[in-house]
Amino acid sequence: MSDLKPMTALGGADPVRLTLGALTLTENAELALASLALRRDTIVGSGRPIPLGLTLPDPGGWVGLEGVAAFWTGPGQWMIEAEEAAGGDFAALVKTAAPDCSVTEQTDAWVAFEITSSQGEGPLVGLLEKLANLDAALFRPGHATRTAIEHMSCYIIRRAEDRLAILGMRTLANSLWHTLTQAASRLQLAA
Amino acid sequence: MTRLSGGVIDRSRTLSFTFDGQAYQGHPGDTLASALLANGVRLMGRSFKYHRPRGVLSAGSEEPNALVELRTGARREPNTRATVVELFDGLEAKSQNRWPSLSFDALAVNDLFAPFFAAGFYYKTFMWPKAFWEKVYEPAIRRAAGLGSLSMLPDPDAYDKGFLHCDLLVIGGGAAGLSAALTAARSGARVILADEDFRLGGRLLAESGPFTDQSVDAWIAGLEAEFASLPNLRVMRRTTVWGAYDHGIFAALERVADHLSTPGEGVRQTLWRITAKRAVLAAGATERHIPFANNDRPGIMLSGALRAYANRWAVRPAERVAIFTNNDDGHRTALDLRAKGVEVAAVVDSRAEAKVLGDYPLLAGALVTGSRGRLGLKAIRVAQHGRDQWIPCGALGVSGGWNPNVHLASHHRGRPVWDEAQQTFLPGEEGPPGLIPAGAAVGEGSTHAALMSGARAAVKALDALGIKASPPNLPEAEDRPLGLKPLWHVPGKARAWVDFQNDVTVKDIALAHQENMRPVEHLKRWTTLGMATDQGKTANVTALAVMAELTGKTIPETGTTIFRPPYTPVSLSALGGGNTGTHFRPRRLTPTHVWAEGRGAVFVEVGQWMRAQYFPRPGEKTWRETVDREVLATRAGVGICDVTTLGKIDVQGKDAGAFLNRIYCNAMASLKVGMVRYGLMLREDGQAWDDGTCARLAEDQYVVTTTTAQAGPIYRHMEFCRQGLWPELDVQLISTTDAWAQLSVAGPQARVLLERIVDGFDLSNAAFPFMACGELTIAGGLRARLFRISFSGELAYEIAVPARYGAALMGRLVSLGADLGATPYGTEALGVLRIEKGHAAGNELNGQTTAQMLGMGRMVSVKKDSIGAVQSRREGMAADSRRLVGLVPVAATDPVVAGSHLFTEGAVHNTGTDQGWITSACYSPHVGSAIGLGFLTEGEARQGEVVIAANPLEGQAIRLRVVSPHFVDPEGGRLRV
Repeated sequence: MSDLKPMTALGGADPVRLTLGALTLTENAELALASLALRRDTIVGSGRPIPLGLTLPDPGGWVGLEGVAAFWTGPGQWMIEAEEAAGGDFAALVKTAAPDCSVTEQTDAWVAFEITSSQGEGPLVGLLEKLANLDAALFRPGHATRTAIEHMSCYIIRRAEDRLAILGMRTLANSLWHTLTQAASRLQLAA
Repeated sequence: MTRLSGGVIDRSRTLSFTFDGQAYQGHPGDTLASALLANGVRLMGRSFKYHRPRGVLSAGSEEPNALVELRTGARREPNTRATVVELFDGLEAKSQNRWPSLSFDALAVNDLFAPFFAAGFYYKTFMWPKAFWEKVYEPAIRRAAGLGSLSMLPDPDAYDKGFLHCDLLVIGGGAAGLSAALTAARSGARVILADEDFRLGGRLLAESGPFTDQSVDAWIAGLEAEFASLPNLRVMRRTTVWGAYDHGIFAALERVADHLSTPGEGVRQTLWRITAKRAVLAAGATERHIPFANNDRPGIMLSGALRAYANRWAVRPAERVAIFTNNDDGHRTALDLRAKGVEVAAVVDSRAEAKVLGDYPLLAGALVTGSRGRLGLKAIRVAQHGRDQWIPCGALGVSGGWNPNVHLASHHRGRPVWDEAQQTFLPGEEGPPGLIPAGAAVGEGSTHAALMSGARAAVKALDALGIKASPPNLPEAEDRPLGLKPLWHVPGKARAWVDFQNDVTVKDIALAHQENMRPVEHLKRWTTLGMATDQGKTANVTALAVMAELTGKTIPETGTTIFRPPYTPVSLSALGGGNTGTHFRPRRLTPTHVWAEGRGAVFVEVGQWMRAQYFPRPGEKTWRETVDREVLATRAGVGICDVTTLGKIDVQGKDAGAFLNRIYCNAMASLKVGMVRYGLMLREDGQAWDDGTCARLAEDQYVVTTTTAQAGPIYRHMEFCRQGLWPELDVQLISTTDAWAQLSVAGPQARVLLERIVDGFDLSNAAFPFMACGELTIAGGLRARLFRISFSGELAYEIAVPARYGAALMGRLVSLGADLGATPYGTEALGVLRIEKGHAAGNELNGQTTAQMLGMGRMVSVKKDSIGAVQSRREGMAADSRRLVGLVPVAATDPVVAGSHLFTEGAVHNTGTDQGWITSACYSPHVGSAIGLGFLTEGEARQGEVVIAANPLEGQAIRLRVVSPHFVDPEGGRLRV
């Protein structure tokens, strides 16, 4: 094991966690990500693979199993997620599970913020209304989309009734964190 | 205080405020205008051009006159309409456009010289001498004419923005809007009801007893309770929907905290983008006045406003009031005022057949032809049956009919249509799709008609969405006709104001007509009619009618000007979205940013990126000293630079090589696994676009690098090619720019340093030669990628690790290489190193250069086709003889200035003799002087020649010698050791 010390996307040794009113925002530094794209003969011919037991979702969808999940990112393309696996070579694992696909390591391409609400979906909907041009009320658990937040390209995933994840470009982590915490603190003030 | 009984104000609480330093009191529910009127203040401002005393004209957002500077210090806001300012305790307001005081304004002298200030006067008067316009005339005119002034301080408040979606957006919370919202919300549809006022009800609040079966208060209270219980309805008070845009998108401004003395920690205003499947425009109507001589005195108001002040705000406008009308609505004002105990001196009705509707004197077939009162109305002159009489009164309500607020329905260049029966413009058919006008906005202005119209519009809108809705039980309401007979102005010789805000009179319109400025768009520009903060809400239609009368055309033939957002003024702070300073735009930080901060690095913006520009050390007095040290240390030992910002694109698939062959002008399919090749991309037109490297990690996997600036555009281009041009190819793309921290390790000691960190990887020249690449582990098992490529001309590598390890790797390399002189360097040294080596970068790839000019003409493969290859062989491009050259000053201390143009020595300097230009320049510590790169005609053959670098802006002409662009190691031996 290397003795080089990793740094979180926000520039610290440990992930940041902040509670603002009903919302708790957590930097998910241990989320491993790998992109999985079908090869052309797979698109034309046989069906989709089922990597790590995941039934790859249709456009706009997210599916989660114990510790692993997948969301649609483009035609014939998904992002595969694994909890607590950022330290390893997750892309290699996915490639083994789907050897006929193009797999690319994406773990450190993104910063992931998990946002939970202690008061049901209301605060999450309120937050989304301030962040992105998507219909927050129709963005139900199991939905994922790519959209812009303050000019930053992001993935937004509704993991559960009371939980969202927002993935932004890792190098924009600080700007995204500022945006998210500012919106959350304003909701707290207005509540 | 001159309060009447009733009203929708909270008399249990008193609010203190000041106007021009004088203290007054009002109540919650007041606007600044109503509170001033209640305190007997009629004079609220001075007019734009003539500085005439002005009072409030309206009771809403259409107000042209009562503009004040609200608040103080950095929060001072000029041109605020007193009619929409919700009173709060401690409010401070000042009048504007006057000196030294509101009651005595020295510039009122302009009024005496009014004949010189007619429409277009400044186009005609200030013609000579020409040079005086910019320095003398214009500043003087701007000082004399105008509105309020800015604080010139940064806005201290926070602004926000957001996005909402709904089935139905109801714009306006009056009778029609409330009825529409109720109908729609009960159907279960997702509804947003937005109203600019702080209280729902619209005109209902301004009328006495519009319902015959219940009180307005009770009905609205019931609605409010029901609305609060409906989760599918969002009521947005203090929210103006100010623009209709494509795809059902509406812009709305919510004044979150404008009714508070300060927003505190919260936001002041929120700009909402509302996406609505359908919308009901229930924006109501604006009353029009009737121009007559001196119709602009404080105390002369719209009749409906007079009624609103009395009914909603319990304001007694004056002891004695008169009405001037051409319809029955004016009589309603008289009746309401009478009922509240105000003396009505007369109702002057232009209709000869007008009937008296209550206990007040009626002068039928009469006209108001003048007024008296320097700072406020004292009397009106009335002409009836050929006789004139003066009638003393302190307020005059004028009613010329109602103009539907068609603005939002006209935003998609939808032209309003003239309705002859109602003598008004109604929303046209070609407005924003899915927007259904209702109520007074579509000419259905009686309370009964508005309620029914709103419900109908909601049912129709939802039906189109497949949602069944049915009209609710609505109150029984008045349904009186207006009985209007058009009267657009009272003829006369004295000035009669049409547009109060811009001081445009009937005479000005006649002058515009006389000077052939007859089309409405010309009329607007010539007279300034309909401009500024009110956009002519109370003026435009009247002006069109006057022009129509003069031209002999009908009003619809005369037409309207174009309606554009915003409906009412929106602050730039709100439009800006709220982000200022550091967070004005997102900032990308490199993986070593925190580490570089710790080393005291100076940063530079490179697009969205913040990059370390140089790393000053104690004792270094100038940036040049630092950069020279970094460059020399790299060439002597080893330098390390974060190059993560270069774009990285993972290209996989069976056809990855074939795909890259088409993207790059040189061959990539033939690249061996484990090797890297420099690549050049051309645009479709054959010009050089971007350069970078292409590393083949496997038979079916490449990693493409791009320049920092073009990372996004190249990725987009490649996606377009993959999806749009050649979908038959088996290629998959994804950006990995952020995933990997990439460090350049350059200098003769680079290999020695890297050997100290790799896990047994053979770095020997034989095993890992120039342009090799491979995957390996470092520092005890960390996954990494290594590329033996060089931008500096030295033995160099780029090493990539997962981004989270970038800072740690940088720190480790610098400490492990201390004995080797390992030196972190920034973008300045990076630039110097590449100029010394003669590598092209963004300065050279500026969209005007060809592969040939860069010395890479042979790279454009003729064995295969690629984007831009054919076009690059066009005669004109192929014939361009300019080539990249190096340049050094003949006198060693002379500068080399990038951007200078090159000329043959002795030639005149003009575009005809231009021989090229300098693209890049720096001080080279290696050469010991300034050096440059540039494109020079026949450059290859002119080495040794002296040319002139002309910089006419600075008056410079510097002698430069043409040399090889490779100032360092032109044979490239250092790269390959």
